[in-house]
Amino acid sequence: MIFKGAQVMTDLVLKPDVCIVGSGPGGSMVASRLASHGISVVVLEEGGYHLKDEFDMQESTAFPRLYQDRGNRATADLSIAILQGRAVGGGTVVNWTTSYRTPDDVVHRWRDEGSVLTPEILGPHFDEVEQRLGIQKVDYEDTNPNNRSLYDGCKKLGWQVDTTRRNVRGCLRTGYCGMGCPVDAKQSAALTYLPDAIAKGADLYADCRVRRIEWNGKRAQAVIGVVLDSASGQETGRTVRVEPRVVVVSGGALNSPALLLRSGIRQGPVGKKTWLHPVVAVGAMYKSRIEGFFGAPQSVASHHFAHRDRGAGFFLEVAPTHPMLTGIAMPGFGAALRSRMALLPNLASCISLMIDGFRGDEGGTVSLRPDGGPKLDYPFTEIHYECFREGMKAMARAHLANGAESVTTFHATPLVVTSEADLSQIDRAPLGPNLFAAFTAHQMGGCRMGSDPKTSVVNPQLRHHYLENLFVADGSVFPTSLGVNPMESIYGISSWAAEQIRAALS
Amino acid sequence: MTTRRGLLKKTLGGAVLLAAAGAVPVAMRKTKLRELAKGRTLLFFNAAEYSVWAAVADRILAREATFITQEHNDGPPLPAAVVVEAAEKRAAPPTPAALDVAGKADAFLAPLDQASAKDLKQLLALFDSALFSLVTGGPPRPFTQQEPAEQDAQLKAWQTSRLAIRRTGYQAMKRLCCAIYFGAPETYASIGYPGPPYELVKSALGGRR
Repeated sequence: MIFKGAQVMTDLVLKPDVCIVGSGPGGSMVASRLASHGISVVVLEEGGYHLKDEFDMQESTAFPRLYQDRGNRATADLSIAILQGRAVGGGTVVNWTTSYRTPDDVVHRWRDEGSVLTPEILGPHFDEVEQRLGIQKVDYEDTNPNNRSLYDGCKKLGWQVDTTRRNVRGCLRTGYCGMGCPVDAKQSAALTYLPDAIAKGADLYADCRVRRIEWNGKRAQAVIGVVLDSASGQETGRTVRVEPRVVVVSGGALNSPALLLRSGIRQGPVGKKTWLHPVVAVGAMYKSRIEGFFGAPQSVASHHFAHRDRGAGFFLEVAPTHPMLTGIAMPGFGAALRSRMALLPNLASCISLMIDGFRGDEGGTVSLRPDGGPKLDYPFTEIHYECFREGMKAMARAHLANGAESVTTFHATPLVVTSEADLSQIDRAPLGPNLFAAFTAHQMGGCRMGSDPKTSVVNPQLRHHYLENLFVADGSVFPTSLGVNPMESIYGISSWAAEQIRAALS
Repeated sequence: MTTRRGLLKKTLGGAVLLAAAGAVPVAMRKTKLRELAKGRTLLFFNAAEYSVWAAVADRILAREATFITQEHNDGPPLPAAVVVEAAEKRAAPPTPAALDVAGKADAFLAPLDQASAKDLKQLLALFDSALFSLVTGGPPRPFTQQEPAEQDAQLKAWQTSRLAIRRTGYQAMKRLCCAIYFGAPETYASIGYPGPPYELVKSALGGRR
């Protein structure tokens, strides 16, 4: 069953085989797999349980309700805005549906850390995920003008570009994936693996914030949660204590390492090497209407620059242009901001995502805020700045090739590019925290897997190096970033992880 | 759009700024107070902080009489005339005061943890400090007492400051103002956003919704 906070009227003590913290792609997958083998499972999820009738397609409703820190999450210095889901189903409820397998070269790279994964091992897991979630490649004809502008621009330059694959069935292409699908077309975990788990007897407690894991010696003993009021988010005073045989931490990057830190489980590099695929963006102005707020928000990607000889790789995708998100990102204020926002229907939005973790960059570090939540420091280095500049120039070139009138960067003092000759401005413009807009929608690492307890938090089977009955199954175990959107990787690797957990139980 | 523990304290510069704000005599903190929107009870701000936020929102979201002009467009060349004309014909956008951006910010910030709340309140005190304005090259008046052009200059100075902490402060205010304002349906028409496709969804759901 699924229990909302309001339904928990007394303090609870539960004793299942497995307690899973978090119900995103990692937690939902593990719950489904274990429950299907008759293993008793309790899932604790801090976010609320929301159904399609609640998804009103308004950013002002969706962000406070469905995102971490009410849509307000950011690095400690606010230099990177963090989009991260918070709901039953986790990020799969609000992501833009882009679905990729873990690239083979990344899987091979992880073997340097002691990972035992191979593309062959993961293949059957991805096959099942793709079938369950209805993952299919988008037809070019089904892309919106926002995405098509990137596709056409790349084609004109001879760059690699393709449509993406999406986890949808019966998609209306409204464009509101980021606010919760209003017609249940998106095959989120809340509609797939979680119902599968529930049908096999798993219980899920929504509105339940896990405070800590109690542990002693080499064993995790209990998971302590506090119940939240569904509407206000305030604690109700009720607690949920779960005493399982095995604990699975699936809170996602940032939250999983924070939970370990709150619990005093600080062995190994907890919170270190957190990866973000840091994003820089540009806006391209077209004479024709683009209406990037309608249509599948993300259906085209170019990996032409994913493997550069020098400098960190990056890939290009598209972001929707709904007013609130665009207004936050758009540089400047006052009349200048107004002018840009007034041209919203003609704006195409393009994003460049840095593939962090492959060039000696250290990524970010999660520590704890005074309230116990995750605090993320992610310092930029010249590796980042070089990649950001090249990404901005690539995006500008693609849109100019496609006929954009101008391309504007999101520097604090925006640069305007109307021709190749203008691109050198980007090399000269100062970069630094909050001197340009940066974002992340892909959080990874922080509980990295590996064979060396000094450099990793969990072993190659995703079992904690020190606590023998604690596993981590989510994007936080990735030793590097991916170079592709992470949802399907988390599902697939967590599906494999469930086999390891099951073996441990037996 | 947010604050974090240590937001202002994490650099030496930030510590100095906070000390400066604390040293400003109360007499010099003459925040020009705004009336609360009708029916609004403050949950997070005090009256002065509410007034600072309202003044910031007024300039962040200022609309000049000429709407889209090259003069106000501090970077991009104007797009095709037809695009501008279409924009000019739209309904005038509501003012930040009409949407009570400051009041909504107050409600949004109410659940903020204690440490972050303290940081943000210190930030607002610093931003409206006459002394700090003076020592950083601005007029010897609080932000709330400045002329619009002076206020814009102060915002610009914080936006592009060499002190990272001022840029962080600017972003905290700018992002939340924009999130509240552009997230409000009352603003949609003015920016050419038709709003969500409710009819499409309704028909797909068989008329329900």
